Amino acid sequence: MAIAVKLDDLLHERRMTLTELADRIGMALANLSILKTGKARAIRFSTLEAICEALSCQPGDLLRFEPEEVER
Amino acid sequence: MSRPAPSSAALPIAYAALRVLIVLNWLSGAAILALLVVSPNEQWIMSAFKLSPSPEAARLIMGLRVIAVLGLAAIPVNYAALKRLLAIVQTVRAGDPFVAANASRLQAIAWALLALQLLSLVIGAIARAVSTPAHPLKLDAGFSINGWLAVLLTFLLARVFAEGTLMREDLAGTV
Repeated sequence: MAIAVKLDDLLHERRMTLTELADRIGMALANLSILKTGKARAIRFSTLEAICEALSCQPGDLLRFEPEEVER
Repeated sequence: MSRPAPSSAALPIAYAALRVLIVLNWLSGAAILALLVVSPNEQWIMSAFKLSPSPEAARLIMGLRVIAVLGLAAIPVNYAALKRLLAIVQTVRAGDPFVAANASRLQAIAWALLALQLLSLVIGAIARAVSTPAHPLKLDAGFSINGWLAVLLTFLLARVFAEGTLMREDLAGTV
């Protein structure tokens, strides 16, 4: 997927673990893990809002468009 | 991730009914086979149907034999459909019916129903061909609008399940 999830970097910058974030936003660790590893197919606005609020960041800090290399 | 299905009597009843139908299907298969084994004895059939030896009677007996063979051919087709329906009921009981396997099961059931409708058409045609005014052969076979509607509906339902499976996968990947 060309959309990269930068949750790992954000957590590292804020010295926070995934478990702590899960506790803070009241989400299952398994679901957050899916997001972190880039296996999610979609993200709810409510989830995005909760993460941005907990990490004091913008959606753009969390998600980034990285065009995939086209093989010729 | 799957929610438990709301408890309903329909599922256990459907499960039990399908199990019974599977057994009945095999039993009717055994009965038809027994009939075929006995039917070479023309004398026995003649007396059972109170027939007198004639070309019509011979035609009727031949027709009955062919119908019995076709009926026997329907048994594994019935089983294929019932077995898949049972598997679908089990996935509904487990709370996650929108899986790719169910879409292909419904597709297979639809083909089985189509085959059964075609068999029914052939059996009905044979019954009409060998029926005589003296010995009318009335079988519950032939064209059935309900049967063909069921075929169409099942093919449609298979598509619905294929779409539902995709939606289910999207939902499972949503955080």
